[in-house]
Amino acid sequence: MLVNAYSKRVFNMAYQFAGSYEEAEDLTQDIFLKLYHSLPKYDFGKNFSAWLLTLAKNHLIDSYRKTKWEKVNRDDFDEHFFIAENADGPEAALAKKASRKMVWKSLNHLSSDIRMALILRDIQDKSYEEIAEITNLPIGTVKSRISRGRVQLAKILQEKKEGSDGL
Amino acid sequence: MDCERIEELLSSLLEGELSGSEKSLVERHLATCQACSSLYSALQETREALLGFPEVEVSESLISKLTAIPEKKKKFSFSLDFVLKPSLQPVFATAAIFLTILSFYLFNPDKKYIDRTIDQKIHLGYSQVEKLYAKAGSWTDRLADYKDNVLASLKNWKIFGGKKDEIKS
Repeated sequence: MLVNAYSKRVFNMAYQFAGSYEEAEDLTQDIFLKLYHSLPKYDFGKNFSAWLLTLAKNHLIDSYRKTKWEKVNRDDFDEHFFIAENADGPEAALAKKASRKMVWKSLNHLSSDIRMALILRDIQDKSYEEIAEITNLPIGTVKSRISRGRVQLAKILQEKKEGSDGL
Repeated sequence: MDCERIEELLSSLLEGELSGSEKSLVERHLATCQACSSLYSALQETREALLGFPEVEVSESLISKLTAIPEKKKKFSFSLDFVLKPSLQPVFATAAIFLTILSFYLFNPDKKYIDRTIDQKIHLGYSQVEKLYAKAGSWTDRLADYKDNVLASLKNWKIFGGKKDEIKS
């Protein structure tokens, strides 16, 4: 069944992109509605998973462009989902938690295309080939977007850390 | 190599995609440039943070909403099939004619005139029925008279003990 097989993947993609749990639930429903409408057009020679993620990616970026979510703050990532990390000591665990929070909050500072590429590569751990298939872009463009996204996020993280150290 | 060019290569260095010569060039730069070295550390920290985000579970309510979507579609298509049944076509044709006439009546600018005409027709019909009813009443009276006359004449017949020329009342 499509819902059992793909709802988690689609929902996580929406949640990572939008940064809001409620918004992600609405977006997932919209994507599944679109999926049922588009199923007759599916070419059986294509990879279904990549086809579905392309549909989801297009919907997420279109909705973002219409509503301009970048003005909306992202929810805090629910810390209950993390396994307690105390292997490097409580201080290191706290530092990790703080940087994770900053990175999560900063994702909406990236443009929609760069954010999507970065999510697919660094959060979902997809290969460059898979991302190229999902985004319908050449691998070179995908690599360049991911590189730019990482540098932008790293710079934001540096600024935020300097700001918090200065207080 | 300037810092801008190094910045472009940091992501590839992070993923171990640089060739041997490129890698040693970038690493030599990082050993001497504080800004690029600090940026590389932030890059590593960012990537580590991103890779650490786990998959979130989907709520039960969302699952039930998603599974209900095809059901909704099915019900919708069923109702359409029902509407398109050929056996219902005469019903729809009659309904269409009725609605057309109704729309002519409702949206006619001379609606009052039509109302008056309909009223007159109804009254005319009603008075005709009344006349018919009165005629029928007079016919029953006349039939009753005929019956009385026939009975009186039968009683005057000889075979029933009467005199033919004598009128018995």
